[in-house]
Amino acid sequence: AKAQQVTIQGVVQDTVGGIPGATVIVKGGGQGTNTDNLGRYKFKAAANATLTYSAIGYKPKQVLLSNYKADAAGIIKIDVSLEVNTTSLEEVAVTGFGNTQKKASLVSSITTVSVKDLKTPSSNLTNALAGRVAGIIAFQGSGEPGLGTDNSTFYIRGLSTFGSGKQDPLILIDGIESSSTDMARLQPDDISDFSVLKDAAAASIYGARGANGVVLINTKMGKDAAPQFNFRVENRMSRNTRDYEFADNITYMNMSNEAVLTRNPNGVEPYSQNKINSTRAGEDPYLYPNNNWIQKLIKDYTINQGYNLNISGGSNRARYYIAGTYNKDNGILKVEPINDFNTNISLKNYSLRSNVDFNVSKSTVLIVRMYGQFDDYQGPIGGFNESGARISGGEQTFRNALNANPVMFPAVYPASKLPFIEHPLFGSAQTRNSDLSLSSTMYINPYAEMVKGYQVYKTSNLQPQLELKQNLDGITPGLTARAMGYLRRVSFYRVNRSYVPFFYSAIINPQDQSYSLQPLNDGSANSLQPVGREFLDFNQDAKEIDSRFWLEGAVNYNRTFKKKHTVSGMLVSYMSSYENANASSLIQSLPARNAGVSGRFSYGYDDRYLAEFNFGYNGSERFDRRNRWGFFPSIGVGYRISQEKFFKPLRDIVSNLKFRATYGLVGNDAIGNVNERFFYMSNVNLNDAGFGATFGRNDGTAVYNRNGVSISRYANSNITWERSKQINLGMDLSIANAFDLIVDAYKQERSNILQPISNIDNAAGLMAVPFSNFGKVSAKGVDLSGSYRANISKDFSINARGTFTYATTRIERIDELPYSSDLAYLSRKGYSINQTWGYVAERLFADDEEVANSPVQFGNTNLRAGDIKYRDINKDGIINSDDQVAIGYPTQPEIIYGFGSSFYYKNIDFSFYFQGASRFSFFINSAQIQPFYQSGGYQTGLLQAVANDYWSETNPNLYAFWPRLSTYRIDNNNQLSTWWMRNGSFLRLKNLEFGYTFNNLKKVKMQHARLYFSATNLFIVSGFKMWDAEMRGNGLGYPLQSLYNLGVQVSF
Amino acid sequence: KKYLDIVPDNVAVIENAFKLRTEAEKYLFTCYSYLPKNGDGWFNAGLMSGDEMWLPQSDQAHWHPAFRIAQGQQNKDRPLFNEWGGDLKGGDGRFNYLVMFRGIRHCNIFLENIKDQTKVPDLSLSERERWIGEVEFLKAYYHYYLLRMYGPIPIVDKNVPESSAPEDLYYKRMPVDECVNYISALLDDAIAKLPPRIVDENKELGRTTQVIALAVKAKLWLMAASPLFNGNSDFAGFRDKEGIALFNPTVDQTKWEKARDAAKAAIDAAEANGNSLYTYRNDVFNLSNETKTQLNIRNAVTDRWGTEVVWGLSNSYFVNEALCMPPLVRGSNTDRFQLQGVWAAPIKIAKMFYSKNGVPIDEDKTLDFTNYMQTRAAVTSEQFYIEPNFVTARLNYDREPRFYADLGFDGGRWYMKDGTTTGSDVNGMYVQMKNAQTAGFGHFTNWNETGYFIKKLVHWESTTNSNNAPTWKSYPWPEIRLADLYLMYAEALNEVEPASPMAISYLDRIRTRAGLKGVVESWSNFSRNPGKYGSQDGLRSIIHRERLIELAFEGQRFWDLRRWKQSGEELNKDITGFSILGKTTEAYNIERTIFNQTFIAPRDYFWPIGNYETRRNPKLVENPGW
Repeated sequence: AKAQQVTIQGVVQDTVGGIPGATVIVKGGGQGTNTDNLGRYKFKAAANATLTYSAIGYKPKQVLLSNYKADAAGIIKIDVSLEVNTTSLEEVAVTGFGNTQKKASLVSSITTVSVKDLKTPSSNLTNALAGRVAGIIAFQGSGEPGLGTDNSTFYIRGLSTFGSGKQDPLILIDGIESSSTDMARLQPDDISDFSVLKDAAAASIYGARGANGVVLINTKMGKDAAPQFNFRVENRMSRNTRDYEFADNITYMNMSNEAVLTRNPNGVEPYSQNKINSTRAGEDPYLYPNNNWIQKLIKDYTINQGYNLNISGGSNRARYYIAGTYNKDNGILKVEPINDFNTNISLKNYSLRSNVDFNVSKSTVLIVRMYGQFDDYQGPIGGFNESGARISGGEQTFRNALNANPVMFPAVYPASKLPFIEHPLFGSAQTRNSDLSLSSTMYINPYAEMVKGYQVYKTSNLQPQLELKQNLDGITPGLTARAMGYLRRVSFYRVNRSYVPFFYSAIINPQDQSYSLQPLNDGSANSLQPVGREFLDFNQDAKEIDSRFWLEGAVNYNRTFKKKHTVSGMLVSYMSSYENANASSLIQSLPARNAGVSGRFSYGYDDRYLAEFNFGYNGSERFDRRNRWGFFPSIGVGYRISQEKFFKPLRDIVSNLKFRATYGLVGNDAIGNVNERFFYMSNVNLNDAGFGATFGRNDGTAVYNRNGVSISRYANSNITWERSKQINLGMDLSIANAFDLIVDAYKQERSNILQPISNIDNAAGLMAVPFSNFGKVSAKGVDLSGSYRANISKDFSINARGTFTYATTRIERIDELPYSSDLAYLSRKGYSINQTWGYVAERLFADDEEVANSPVQFGNTNLRAGDIKYRDINKDGIINSDDQVAIGYPTQPEIIYGFGSSFYYKNIDFSFYFQGASRFSFFINSAQIQPFYQSGGYQTGLLQAVANDYWSETNPNLYAFWPRLSTYRIDNNNQLSTWWMRNGSFLRLKNLEFGYTFNNLKKVKMQHARLYFSATNLFIVSGFKMWDAEMRGNGLGYPLQSLYNLGVQVSF
Repeated sequence: KKYLDIVPDNVAVIENAFKLRTEAEKYLFTCYSYLPKNGDGWFNAGLMSGDEMWLPQSDQAHWHPAFRIAQGQQNKDRPLFNEWGGDLKGGDGRFNYLVMFRGIRHCNIFLENIKDQTKVPDLSLSERERWIGEVEFLKAYYHYYLLRMYGPIPIVDKNVPESSAPEDLYYKRMPVDECVNYISALLDDAIAKLPPRIVDENKELGRTTQVIALAVKAKLWLMAASPLFNGNSDFAGFRDKEGIALFNPTVDQTKWEKARDAAKAAIDAAEANGNSLYTYRNDVFNLSNETKTQLNIRNAVTDRWGTEVVWGLSNSYFVNEALCMPPLVRGSNTDRFQLQGVWAAPIKIAKMFYSKNGVPIDEDKTLDFTNYMQTRAAVTSEQFYIEPNFVTARLNYDREPRFYADLGFDGGRWYMKDGTTTGSDVNGMYVQMKNAQTAGFGHFTNWNETGYFIKKLVHWESTTNSNNAPTWKSYPWPEIRLADLYLMYAEALNEVEPASPMAISYLDRIRTRAGLKGVVESWSNFSRNPGKYGSQDGLRSIIHRERLIELAFEGQRFWDLRRWKQSGEELNKDITGFSILGKTTEAYNIERTIFNQTFIAPRDYFWPIGNYETRRNPKLVENPGW
């Protein structure tokens, strides 16, 4: 017979107050729930059930329901006090190769991140890291939805190698080697553990791949309970944190005229006074166009959605966790129904995760994880930047907005002007030479560029994974074994479809000031190029496929003897293979392989004295047989002084105090670029057309041609791992179970950094520069995190958290020219690896006479007053590359910090989080924003910042932001120098959240529901105003986004 | 552990290059591939770094490394046209794959392997011998090329293994005399092994022969005997780090004898193998004598594998005809992208050509060129030089045929085979060069800065008179032609045997082909200095000028002025041209200063090796002045 159901409600608390996230579960399977932020819970169970109350760090407690009586409303009220488990904090950290370790017994430096901290209203997980995770240096450069475009760049304890290989951390999601984009797409809802391995003791088991630190993420597994549904939906409004600002177009035209005359008094002014006046008077906007391209192209905001559903549950034979996600992120680009296709960015990502585990036998568990993640992207067609790197469509649009003339043409003419033509009548005009004669190109119309076509890309990532866990208690208690294997297949393709816009320019009829349209590129006799085309053309773009295979097997031993001696051991061996189908050479097509054995052995006495030994013994296919295998050991010790007898009197205040120290070695085999894999082999091309020769008379008879030989690498069997030697000293402190502080200080020495040998005489005639493991970098820093929790009253609690990460590097050894003592300042030795060398700009030249009497700068002989004057560092009377010195801070932040607080009152919660970065510099790309500079159809617009403060003959401010105007490049003014250097420090309100939790939802059969509003990037405090300082030098890219998010989460 | 052995056995290594003849042949061609691409202005330092060619100040001029040298922008911070390090050359100014020292290393690898008879078993002994000779020649030529640019250079006779410590790869610069002797000996080795001439012309024309090697040897010794290298006191104090003098400060007259003998040997070999001065013969268009003489001059350079070509670069055809050719009146193609005509000769180069009497214009006692910008209308008798009734400057009248063959100018006739439907030279195409005219200023990047176009380098059979894109009849760049050898011989002769009549007779061969009377007759009748050829100095200046005129726009002037130590004077003169912004005859025919060229002697006689190189190799010394 079915037992009677009762409702149980109450608070789970400790001496301080309610415990959030405590678990209440019916013993023997069935229902369960978690407490809310104030420790409250409410659920239904059979009247005769036994309830287990548990929370990490507390001793569990069991309660027999039959001992309680329901009140009049049929509710049983049970408030439970849990005792803090002082002898062993049960909280665990994931430590690699499927293992977990009690935090109390950790000696290595591992940051565990509460999943709650990762829940930000962004669909990109990497953007939640900065300032939240002690030990991670992270920053975001772009807010554009897309494949990796809005990912934050992040490094564990900062970037600590200048080698050209892998510099970012190893990311393992359920043990699967993943990219940062994989991590970006991960839903916080699905994460159970998130650990960052920061020191050698933690990472050395990853031997050859762990030198840059490891991020370990595990996804949730099912629980032995009735099915539980969690559904979360968010609707996010997204807007640019800050747009760059244009000056008005009257100023644009006046300054454009000035830019010509100030360099050449006989020059021809590009804009007539008549045009300026008419524009000012606001006459016909098609005749006197007056565009603000940002306003024309960019919306005020866009709306995004995210949906996440997960179901978990199970019985004692099998458990499951199934999650599905759908996110839709839209771009901020304007779309008008000029085409029937949408050219705004639209990124949809779907993922489906199924984690199932079965008890195959009493001692065997089989885990099957299936994960599929898919991106569907549509957006404008990107382009390529000055250095030939691909840039995405959104960034291209923002760049075009700045690179388009605002007054020569409107975006589109009204279709009514030419009623018989079906295509949009895009505006443009023929460009002019400096003497105003017509040249043969058209101005680019950024609007037409944006809407003329679209790009579609799709990615699929499938990863089936199988894991078997065998309990070997039968052999000896505490012995377990596990095996895991996975396959990962990733595919990507991109196609572009576009038409060629037809452009028109207006011709004024002087009689009545009306205008008619003249086609510019209709293919007729005087047509400009490219000739318009109404129908879409198609081009195939990149296609990428790769696959990875992984197999690992491990034996674990874990046992406590005589209640005091805790012994554990782990041995794991693994092999992996990675290939991609896009190799451009035989060598690149060969699989990348790793294999190895790793182990961890630890001993703890009474949870007081802790010792640990780890090693990784790894092989990589990249190196010569002699150097193929590397051994990476580490040791660690810990001392929990708070467990000592003499400490007992203090334990009420200092509930936990532990000191830790580790020392060890980790390696990195991913050195050099991808084409440089087999350093022990030469790379010879015996059929290189670039080095062939042709002979013969060439008078009708075929000439005789043969290709030649080129060498792109010489064999070098000595090349081997990059090594990182690391020392970590740490302290864990808890005061009154309310205040926690974890401090780690570290020192690393990265050696064997692969570098081209710089001092080989050219007369040797080597075709390729040999490399050696030469460079050495030391890094040191501190990372700390603290938290505080207080319950002010029964209904009101506060907690506060903060992190601080400081990471610096210093180049100890670098292969560079042997600079003599008078040139020692050119040496990078002793500086951070992100240090910039540039010129010291003193001020602008006061007059032409000063120019004549000053050192010649970069061989330029045509400098004028108002151009930048540089300091002659070595006093040799010329300014050249010998006058560069280290300027500013490193280009990556040395300090990342964050702090915030949460408040809970009854059903209301409120939290905020600030995040900041400091000690870094960036450089404005002055060439990119040089107003009026014309190159083909591109002509750079005028930023308000330039219009506000520039050198002019009437206002010769020697310290003006912008030097003397020019319509052509003045290379002298575009050098990397202190003139364009800015302090990057900023502090921003990263996150704000306000929520309300509904508990009494019986009627709709829900356990609870939460309605919340959250926002990110609400404001930024920075000395730099032209664009969002976090974007650093890339200010013309797609801005970071402020998000305003309304979400609902329900569980039932 | 085998799991990590993933590299298959048959990955290409350098040994594969010497297993079979077909592969070894590719290696041979690799050695050839480092020959300078002199048929491309971007790669020809001699053509663009001096004063015989000027470019408009459009974008290109700023990043054309050779032309930036002409503008005085050479520096040691990042040397322009840096052959030593392989930087800032050619293409877009960044091409660096033709690094001469790499070519030398390849030559050494090739020689080491091919001299080992156990390698390339299917290569016959005689062919092996020839290949060795060819590569020895190339190795010598690459050394010579560097010597000409840098002065003392390292001699890389043997390769040091690439795995050596960097210290073992440091080379030091060797004294000039040692370099010359080394190259000369290596050329001798090569000459003994090379075939006298190419037999299979369809497959092999362009490969090295005895004649080519002998001609290079003549060039080497002429350079070594010339004042820049022979007892140059300017560099007397130039020593390496061990104190060894790199220039011999004592003049050695026997070097001229070696130069004379080498030139004679080259001439003998060339003539024995079919070389002769070019003359235009098969006239089917009934051309005037004036036009035929011009074709004699133009075709000597542009005729593919013409009789005069001693060494044609089959790997570097001339690719810049579009830069020489402007749109012409009576021609139908006016596209300045296709007919750019940006290569411009300064007025001083135009003045260099003789008067029609075969003497310098300032020596001609019958013709007054004092007011050379004065204009008059052309008469009909001048119709094959200047469009009748066209008004143009005095400078363009009464000049020797080479002036008209080499240069296009406002009003100048420009004979092309497709200029008229019949191929006739009557009523053919001509240049209009004033502002906004067909060939004049107005296009935003492509214009001619001085008013003189380089007609000489345009093949007369290229088709430009059509609405279609032009088809350029390109030709292997004539690196050495017979006229050059004659002039070299004459120059050396005059130094050994002052005022040598033999020298004059070789000059006269060239003058005759150019439609001029002999030296003696011309000077005696028309010069204000009629006995000039009678003295060594006088004849020397006649030989120099004859050489500069005959070899104009072939990239020789730059090197010759240096060799003679005359750059300090010549390259400090202003670059001038017509007032190209002028739209009328009056406004146009005014001499305009375009650029104040500077040449700092003795510094600029040699390239800077550059800070980067001298800082990383402690044995390397920088050239004086840099």
